Amino acid sequence: MSGSDRERVHSGGACPHTHPAQYRHPVAMFRLQGSKVLAVDMTGDSVKAKNGSMVAYDGRMDFKKLTGGGEGLRGMVTRRLTGEQMALMEVKGQGTCYFADRASEINLVSLHGDKLYVESSNLLCTDGGLRTGTSFTGLRGGATGNGLFTTTVEGTGQAAIMSDGPAVVLRVTPPYPLSVDPGAYIAHQGDLRQQFQSGVTFRTLVGEGGGEAFQIRFEGDGLVYVQPSERNTVGGDV
Amino acid sequence: MPFREVNSKMVEATVVPGQRMYSQRGAMLAYRGDVSFTPNIAGGQGGLMSMIGRRVADEATPLMTVEGSGTVMFGHGGHHIQVVGLEGDTLYVEADRLLAFDGTLEQGTMFMGSQGGVMGMVRGQVTGQGLFTTTLRGHGAVAVMAHGGVIELPITPGRPVHVDPQAYVAHHGDVRNKLSTALGWRDMVGRGSGEAFQLELSGSGAVYVQASEEKL
Repeated sequence: MSGSDRERVHSGGACPHTHPAQYRHPVAMFRLQGSKVLAVDMTGDSVKAKNGSMVAYDGRMDFKKLTGGGEGLRGMVTRRLTGEQMALMEVKGQGTCYFADRASEINLVSLHGDKLYVESSNLLCTDGGLRTGTSFTGLRGGATGNGLFTTTVEGTGQAAIMSDGPAVVLRVTPPYPLSVDPGAYIAHQGDLRQQFQSGVTFRTLVGEGGGEAFQIRFEGDGLVYVQPSERNTVGGDV
Repeated sequence: MPFREVNSKMVEATVVPGQRMYSQRGAMLAYRGDVSFTPNIAGGQGGLMSMIGRRVADEATPLMTVEGSGTVMFGHGGHHIQVVGLEGDTLYVEADRLLAFDGTLEQGTMFMGSQGGVMGMVRGQVTGQGLFTTTLRGHGAVAVMAHGGVIELPITPGRPVHVDPQAYVAHHGDVRNKLSTALGWRDMVGRGSGEAFQLELSGSGAVYVQASEEKL
């Protein structure tokens, strides 16, 4: 059993703030400096960040590329096969490190043993103790233009995701399902089922569609992150 | 402070008679009052020699002189604008990032090789900033452009700050900069972390860093 596994069992999915004594390792502190720069205070621990996203640091830092996103040989092969490429680096040291990428807005996500689904291009930085992987998204991926697979982040800690414009967090509860434009969806967490729905009618086929032919419908209990901008998607034109 | 921030991407400057201002050519958005804009062939202050100096150094941006009485709004390309106040110290900034500055400031060109020797010259080449940079000294205000927001990081003795060369915007104060490399065999085989070159700033002052790795 590795060290990170043990730590996860100890915290047991509960809120880490209520059990500070169970944290043996120092944990990187994520905070936002403005809305577009992420500052991480580190005391000898490590974080995983998108390759080349460091803009400044003070103190002493080491940068190392994580081949295959630190998921081992199996994860590496999976990423190659699925096309959900992710270039990550490991940052380790003491001091404050600042991350930013192409002036995107940054959102902090706290994970307490649950799973975050995010596109690999929207993931900026995660706590060193979180595990990343890939999962199949089904039909949704084809319409968002992001491929059929997405990245998952699992464990207890913090992650930073990027959006084009400030993101809104929408809560989904069993009586209130949510439909999202595939181009504006960036991430979701919690116990959610997603379903692809299309409103293709006779009008769409003759080129008189409203531009909203496809949506992703979320049902269950959790949070969905939506950005105020739309990527170019296959469904966006019809 | 003659610059007032209208929003994060626009500044408003007050022009009074007898006091001129310089701004990047074409950066005026709107003005009130009686203001004239004249293209400045010399590209800033100084005589013929400084003009030749800037041409040689490739730090010549098309500037215009703003004179008259009224208020002028400046903005360019939707970039974020940071207003920096100078009280007798020197600001080092790339010429193409300059949006507007007070006429009272003394403009100059600095050779990178004079700070850090050969490494300084290498630094200019690596960062794509060239061998020269523009300096502004005196009392007044400068409006600097950056892609994305800008954060100001203080530099204190014994606590140097490392900056990604592409995210570096400007710095002021008594600061020495040098290029530090962390090149390893990983970078040689194309498996680098993307952070092989860093700008190490030490001394006392402040550095401005933008939230993006895109040049203007």
